[in-house]
Amino acid sequence: MPGSNPRPTWLAAALVTATLVVLTLSLLLGSAGLDIELIRSLRAPRVAAAAGVGALLAQSGLAMQALLRNPLADPYVLGTSGGAAVGALLALMFGVAMAFGAAAGALAAGALLVLLARRALAASDDASPRLILSGAMLAAVFGALATLLLTLTPDQQLRGAIFWLVGDLSGADHAGSTLIAAVLFMLALLARHRAIDRLLLGSEAAHLLGEPVRRLRLELLVCASLAAGLAVASAGAIGFVGLVVPQALRLAGVQRTCELAWLAPVGGAGLLMAADLVSRSVASPVELPVGAVMALIGAPVFIFFLARGGR
Amino acid sequence: MNPPLIETRALTLVAAGRVLVRSLDWRAAIGERWCVIGRNAAGKSSLLRALAGVGDAALQRGGPVSWLGRVVADWPAADAAAVRAFLPQQASDRFPATVQRLLELSVVQPRHEAAATLAALDAVALGGRNVLELSGGERQRVALAQCAVQGAPLLLLDEPVAFQDPAHQLQVARWLETLRDHALVISAHDVNWIARAATHVLALLPDGHCEQGSAAEMLDADRLQRVYGCDWRAVEGDAGRVWVAQ
Repeated sequence: MPGSNPRPTWLAAALVTATLVVLTLSLLLGSAGLDIELIRSLRAPRVAAAAGVGALLAQSGLAMQALLRNPLADPYVLGTSGGAAVGALLALMFGVAMAFGAAAGALAAGALLVLLARRALAASDDASPRLILSGAMLAAVFGALATLLLTLTPDQQLRGAIFWLVGDLSGADHAGSTLIAAVLFMLALLARHRAIDRLLLGSEAAHLLGEPVRRLRLELLVCASLAAGLAVASAGAIGFVGLVVPQALRLAGVQRTCELAWLAPVGGAGLLMAADLVSRSVASPVELPVGAVMALIGAPVFIFFLARGGR
Repeated sequence: MNPPLIETRALTLVAAGRVLVRSLDWRAAIGERWCVIGRNAAGKSSLLRALAGVGDAALQRGGPVSWLGRVVADWPAADAAAVRAFLPQQASDRFPATVQRLLELSVVQPRHEAAATLAALDAVALGGRNVLELSGGERQRVALAQCAVQGAPLLLLDEPVAFQDPAHQLQVARWLETLRDHALVISAHDVNWIARAATHVLALLPDGHCEQGSAAEMLDADRLQRVYGCDWRAVEGDAGRVWVAQ
């Protein structure tokens, strides 16, 4: 039963162990077998990128869920990742640093979503379906824009549509910066864990308890958007990590942000490393895009939670 | 005389062109339990929200609401949380949390023990439960406990017994009587419950005029008729006076 075990230390231990096992397997397994040089130069950077991107996406989902007070919020489903992809493509075309473009695009998409959801957020009734639909339409618009930009610029520098629309780790870079950013976001969320838990009770409830709701929401918006933007800049628009990981943890009885803030990135790192391992082993030597594998896992989970009434 | 914890001067509330509350001068002090009465849509909730500082400012005209002599708008949110707690009509939970955790998050100023408050509200067994799985009545008693453990002296409770069965209505009334170092403002409909729970009554009349006074002098057949638009009869029996609408 959710909530019967407020301090699931066993769960934390199991999650960390599982993530370490996945990390080890990801480094050791592959089409070329055991070759130290190959592991160091090729596999390790890719595994690190998977871990960093997975952690960032889980954190982005966690922050968006608190911001929108909706347990189904996810940067991919609600268009933030799509906005990041469009921003990154525009930045590449105009010769600006791609990470800046991705961050700006994610921020713009996040702000647009909050603007669209403003009335739903103000009302105390459960406006989840409307919020999710608005986000899904934003995602569709940004997906279409990304496709148009890719079609209009047949530039060899640009990565393909698969990278920008569903995500792919085969050419992932910035592994170091995604890992550092994940640690920073974790500290930021930990520093506000009590305020975030109060915000989950409702914006009016949080205000009545003395929390600076406006500032907190702005910080969560920036945190969620930047995390999604960085993830997209590194590995494209991979979906559902931000939904699946926090929801699974909540289902297992983890409720406090002080625990979710570090368990979610650990779980996100483990999940994406595992999905990457699957995507490069299933049809080896052909590599499947990890985003497609994640969507095959994530979309059914999303439908499951939607059918349960958003809980 | 105790200093007023909350005070309104010429407070007027308007909604959709209708005056809900007309120029209300009113004050409440520690130890007083005020019940706000009025018909459906008379403005009880709007008034309580305005008193709690979370009302729609566009509806509010005239004088300000002040707590401890300071206008509500001038209170920083963190300080306000230590002065007033507000029970909205219905909680809207979206994330799982145990009742225990909810109470921990609700503490602003330690004043009431969570365990004792739950015991007084027949909610001890709910401590480990997930809020998403509570019934309406259970959730409301937990929300009352949340208001108490917040530790604010001013409690504004919008229909605290709306979902309670008769036994729990009685229990809530008894619990409210124990909150002697608080000022309470409560909206409710059951006149007999009000007669038991309130020390004072503030009546909102359909034209927006307000009448106020001690519960004993406010609850009479004539005034109840003007407030609710139906006739009332007091039946005296072994259990005291019982009001019956006719």
